[in-house]
Amino acid sequence: MFVPHSEIDLKKMFEELSISSLDDLFTHIPETLKLNDGLNVPPSLSELESISDFENLESKNTQNLICFAGGGHYDVYLPQTVKSLTMRPEFMTSYTPYQAEISQGILQVLFEYQSLICDLTDMELANASLYDGATSVAEAISVAINKTKRDNVVISNGFNPNTKEVVNTLVDRNKFNINYVDLVDYLFPEDYVFSQDDAAFVVSLPHYEGSAQDLTSIVHNAKAAGVITICYADPSMLGILKSPGSMGFDIVVAEGQSMGSPLSFGGPTVGWFATRKELARLVPGRIIGESRDSNNTKTYVMTLRAREQDIRREKASSNICTNQTLNAVGSTIHLSWLGPEGLYEIGYQAIQKASYMKQSLTDNNFNVLNHTSSLREFLVETKKSAEEVILEMGSKGFLAGIKYDDNQILVAVTEKRTKAQIDNYVESLMEVDNA
Amino acid sequence: MHSGGNASSLPLVGGAPEPTINQLSKPGRRASRFPKLDVPVTEINNSAIRNDKPSLPEVSEHDLVMHYSRLAHRNFAVDVGFYPLGSCTMKYNPRFADYVAGLNTFANSHPSTPSAFTQGNLEVLHELEKFLIEITGMDNATFQPPAGASGELTGLLIIKKYLEENNLTNKTDIIVPDSAHGTNPASAKMAGFNVVEVSTDVRGMVNIDDLKELVNENTAGLMLTNPNTGGLFEENIMEISNIIHENGGLVYYDGANLNAIVGVCRPGDMGFDIVHSNLHKTFATPHGGGGPGSGPVAVKAFLKEYLPGPIVEKNENSYEWYMPKLSIGRMHGYHGNFLVALRALVYMKLLGKEGLDTLGSYAVLNARYLSSVISKVIPLAYNEPCMHEFVATVKDLKKSHKIKAYDVGKALLDKGFHSPTIYFPLIVEEALMFEPTETQTVDTLDDLAETLKAIIDELQGDDISLEEYPKNLPVGRPNELIPAKHLTVNWGDFELLELTE
Repeated sequence: MFVPHSEIDLKKMFEELSISSLDDLFTHIPETLKLNDGLNVPPSLSELESISDFENLESKNTQNLICFAGGGHYDVYLPQTVKSLTMRPEFMTSYTPYQAEISQGILQVLFEYQSLICDLTDMELANASLYDGATSVAEAISVAINKTKRDNVVISNGFNPNTKEVVNTLVDRNKFNINYVDLVDYLFPEDYVFSQDDAAFVVSLPHYEGSAQDLTSIVHNAKAAGVITICYADPSMLGILKSPGSMGFDIVVAEGQSMGSPLSFGGPTVGWFATRKELARLVPGRIIGESRDSNNTKTYVMTLRAREQDIRREKASSNICTNQTLNAVGSTIHLSWLGPEGLYEIGYQAIQKASYMKQSLTDNNFNVLNHTSSLREFLVETKKSAEEVILEMGSKGFLAGIKYDDNQILVAVTEKRTKAQIDNYVESLMEVDNA
Repeated sequence: MHSGGNASSLPLVGGAPEPTINQLSKPGRRASRFPKLDVPVTEINNSAIRNDKPSLPEVSEHDLVMHYSRLAHRNFAVDVGFYPLGSCTMKYNPRFADYVAGLNTFANSHPSTPSAFTQGNLEVLHELEKFLIEITGMDNATFQPPAGASGELTGLLIIKKYLEENNLTNKTDIIVPDSAHGTNPASAKMAGFNVVEVSTDVRGMVNIDDLKELVNENTAGLMLTNPNTGGLFEENIMEISNIIHENGGLVYYDGANLNAIVGVCRPGDMGFDIVHSNLHKTFATPHGGGGPGSGPVAVKAFLKEYLPGPIVEKNENSYEWYMPKLSIGRMHGYHGNFLVALRALVYMKLLGKEGLDTLGSYAVLNARYLSSVISKVIPLAYNEPCMHEFVATVKDLKKSHKIKAYDVGKALLDKGFHSPTIYFPLIVEEALMFEPTETQTVDTLDDLAETLKAIIDELQGDDISLEEYPKNLPVGRPNELIPAKHLTVNWGDFELLELTE
C-alpha cells in the first residue's frame, strides 16, 4: 500500500545495491532480533472494503446528541469555509516551516495567528501554538517560575479538573508548591492576599463553573507582590468579555478548540499562548517574525530560535517541538471569518440563550447554583445522581452537560442551540429527574 | 526528469507579497452570518462584560478565501513535492483518512461524553493500541501524549515514578547519545533528571566503552533511537540494554526512527522498556505545517500501572476508561490527539499484514538506494549500511569551495525539492541527512541524485555568489540578523528591541 515499487523498479534497485532480496538489506541485524513470521495483524484492506469498516465503527457512537457540555470545549458553529481552507493540502501536508523560502504561506498564516491573538487579548507577543489549553496552563506556570525564581503557585480552584491534573503532572511538586484557592460564591475572592513567595497567579475567565468577574483589582494585588499573572481565557467569549490584557494580566493562555477546530473528542485542538515582551525569552515553542530577504522583500521566518530545544537542548525554555499548527491555521481563518461582529455575536447569543435556559430551569423548580454570576455556562442541581441524569438524558438525545459533583451538572450553551432545543432539554430533564 | 529537478516544474507561486488579512480589512465588511436570536433578550449585568467590539479584521468571504488560497500557493507540501528530510519521515498521507476523520461523531464528539455514548471512539483507541503494541513488541499503550516530545516526557516521568516507588531516588542520571535529537535532553531536564551524554564511536554507533564508564548506581535510564540519528542500526543493542538493566536503569526507545524497522524487528525484543511512536511520521498522519502530531507511549507490562490515563480497557461487552493505579497523571486535557490516532488506524488497517511486514524493508531499500547514488556525488559520513536514512557531508567542498550544507539545501529548494535536514546530527560536520521514505519512486530518487550533482557542479563555478540561491522562489534567503535586532512578531507597530537575557 502506497509503496510504488514495480518488479522493474526492484530489479534496478537490487542491481545497484548488489542484493537479490529485501532480506539482504538486513544482514547486519542480529538474527535473534528479526521477526521471522512477520507481525500478527489483520490482512490488508482496500479503501473500498474499509469504508464500511470505519462507518460501522463510527456508528457505535451514539448519534446526534445535542451538546450542552462545555468545560473548555464548545459546540460553536464551524463554517465550511474555515474547514475546507484549513484542510488545503498545501497547509495540511507541509512540514514545519524551517525553510522560509518555500513556506511563506504557513509562516504568514502563523504571523496572522499571533497578531490576531495579540489584538484579541491585548498582549504583545504570541507563540505559534501549544498542544491544548491544559498544557498551556502548565507551560505558563513554568515561565512564571523561571522568571520569578519563586516556589509557590497560586491557582484558582475554578478550573476543569483535567486541567488541574495536567498541572499536577507537569509541575514538579517535589520542588514547587501548588496552592489551589477555593472560589467563594463561584468567584475568586477579591481580598486574596498574595505573598512574596508566589511565582504565579492562575485564574480562569470565566471560571470553570461559568461565573465571571472583572479580575483587574486581583491582578493588581498580585502584581504588586511581584507575581506573574496568568489568565486562562475562553476564546469564544473574548468578543464580549473585557480582554485579559486590559485587566493587567502578564500571560494569556487558552483552549483554542472553539476557534477553528471541531470538538474532535478533545484533540487535536490548540493551546493559545500570549504574553508581554518582557517575557519573550522565556516563551515556549515557535515564534514567527517578520524579516526581509536578500532583495529586501518582506519575508516571514521562525525567530528567537535560541529558546528552542533543537538549539538549546537541555537549556531550552520547553521541550515542545511538534505543536498544533494546523489548528492554529483553523483559529486564524475562523477569527477572520467571524470578524468583530461575529465573535461578539457568538458570545452575546450564548449568554442570552443561557439566560433564557437558566430562567426556564428556575421556573420549573430546578436550582441553578450560580444564576446571577454565570454567563453561558452554569451549575444545575439534580435530585438523582448527576451520572444517572446524564445517561438518561443521553437516551433522550442530549449530552446534558458534565458531571460537576454527585448531584450537580455543569451545563453550557452556545450560539448553536435553539429555543426549541432548550425547551426540549428542560422538559426532558424534568421527566428524568422527577421520575 | 520525472519529478522536481526541473525549475520549470516549481510548484510555488511568486509575485508581489500577499498583504496580511488585516491589510485587507475594511470597516463594515463581514463574512459571518448567524440566525436571529430566538429567545427573549435579557439585560446582562456582569463586571467582566466589555463595552466595545473586539479588534478583528473585517473581510468578505470571497476575499478571505482568495487570501488563504493564495497563501496556500506559497507553501511546499508532501502533496506538492519531495521532502528528503532526514529524521522527519515525510511520507504520503492517505487521502482516505480525511474522509474517516470527518465522519460525524468521530469529528464532533465532545470530550466529556460518557463512554456509554462513545464506544466507537474507545474502540478506535483500543484497535490502534493492538496494532501499536504488536509493531513495537510492547504490552500496553496510552494515547495521551499529543506529540513526540510529550511522549518522551511521559516516558521519563514513568521512569521517575517507577524509581520512586522502588525507593531508588538516588538514580538521577539519564544517558543520552551525543547524536540525539534536542528534545531528548530537553525532556530529561523537564522531568528533573541530570543529562549525561555518551559519545559516538568512529563507526557511528554508541561508544560502548564510554557507556560502561558512565553507567553507575545513579543511572536512571538511557534514551536511544534504533536505528540511531545517523541512520545506522545499533548492532550491539542487546549489550547496551543489558548494561543499563544490570545497573537497575530503564531503557527508553525514541520512536523518531521507527519507520526503518516496522515488520523487521521490534524495540520490545531489543530490551526497551518504554517506546514512544510518532504517528505523524511512521503512521502517515499529515504533519500540518508543524503539528498536530501524536506521541503514544507503549510499555512493558510491569510499567502499565504508571501510564498516564485514563487508558482504554476492553471488558466483556464494552470499552471503558481506566486510570492506572500508579499513574504519573495526565499529559493532555482529554484523550490526546484522538483524530490523529484515528488517521493512524486508517493507515494501519489499509496496510494490514502485507503492508506492515514490508514497511521498514521498503523504507530501507529506498534509503540504501539513494545513499548509493548520492555517494557518487558527495561522500557519506559513515561507511556502514544505512537503514531508512543516511548522513552525507560536504565538509570537503566547504574547504575547497566554501560550499556549506546550508548552500546545498537552499539550492535544492530552487529545483523543486525540499532541503534535506542539515547540520544534524550535530556530531557530523556540514551534515546533510536524507530520508526518502518508502512512498517515493526510484525515478524521484534518481532525479534528486542528478539534481544534487548538477547543483554541486554549478556551485563550484567561478562566478557564483552562493547567497543568491534560491533565485526562483517567492522570496530569497531571509536576512537572519533583522529579527534578532528588530523583532516584529505581530502586525501592530510593536517592535521588540534590546532583548535582555
